[in-house]
Amino acid sequence: MFFLRYLEREISIHPSFFGANIQDVLKQQLYADMEGSCNGEYYIVCIMDIYNISAGKVVPGTGSAFFTILYRAILWKPFKGEAIDCVVDSCKPQGVFCYAGPLSVFVSKMHLPHGYKYNPDATPVNYSGPDGDTIERGTAVRVQILGLRSDVTNLFAIGKMSAGWFGIAPV
Amino acid sequence: MSDYGGDDEPAFADAEDAYYEPDEPEEDLPPDVEEDAEDTLQSRGQEQDEQGRTIVNSDPNQTGQKPVGEEGKKIPDDKRSTTPFMTKYERARVLGTRALQISMNAPVLVDLEGETDPLQIAIKEFNQKKIPLVVRRYMPDGSFEDWTCEELIT
Repeated sequence: MFFLRYLEREISIHPSFFGANIQDVLKQQLYADMEGSCNGEYYIVCIMDIYNISAGKVVPGTGSAFFTILYRAILWKPFKGEAIDCVVDSCKPQGVFCYAGPLSVFVSKMHLPHGYKYNPDATPVNYSGPDGDTIERGTAVRVQILGLRSDVTNLFAIGKMSAGWFGIAPV
Repeated sequence: MSDYGGDDEPAFADAEDAYYEPDEPEEDLPPDVEEDAEDTLQSRGQEQDEQGRTIVNSDPNQTGQKPVGEEGKKIPDDKRSTTPFMTKYERARVLGTRALQISMNAPVLVDLEGETDPLQIAIKEFNQKKIPLVVRRYMPDGSFEDWTCEELIT
């Protein structure tokens, strides 16, 4: 699900970057640091606006300046039970790896739609269904998230396609 | 005063209040109010805007207002009460900090005239009142006054 949220970021700037354009330096730094990043809970998709940059404070002993930037960003946080559309990245004997934007989702063989079989000899390697549909690299699929695991800087999900309306997405 | 300043919140500022037993007469308490419809709406994070539409805030932990910083504790410039003279400690800190910044390649704001020593450059900036630093003097209650190096008398 997507959220719009007020966030805060603290940045210290080295004295060599001081000057009239320090605001630009700070903004650039913020965009470079935060856009596209993940903190283990959500992805920051895009920074909407920066609505306050605090006055700089001298950090004792280092001479650098410390700023607090208040900004607003669009976040994406996947939830357990949420249905998402993904693109299949690879088919393995154990199951299928897909990507929903930055999020890697693994769907085990057990949770594929009923009747799908692994074909290791096909090119590209695929899973084929009883009605001739195939799941291969590049197929668009709809997946329900079963579980999420978070790292410090990333998220991983496992999902299933076995319930109704999940599986190969209608074009 | 600590070199860092500001973080020294008095730990027992409200110790007095903690032992204070309120002895207000009980009949002064307002009667138990029934929650009327509007209150219930407000408590769920919903508001009516001027056109009568209901605004629902989906995140109960986040109010619609932007969060604010510590700017509220600043004493306005015309209400400042500390000395207009720069103390020798402030002077030492300002010169030291500025010299450190100059030694780390910060842009210099005066004509160098062949000067190379960061501290000498800092002193030169100081004499010409060009040091871009602000002295923040904290009061015991956590409020503070800001004095620019330019306006402090040396």
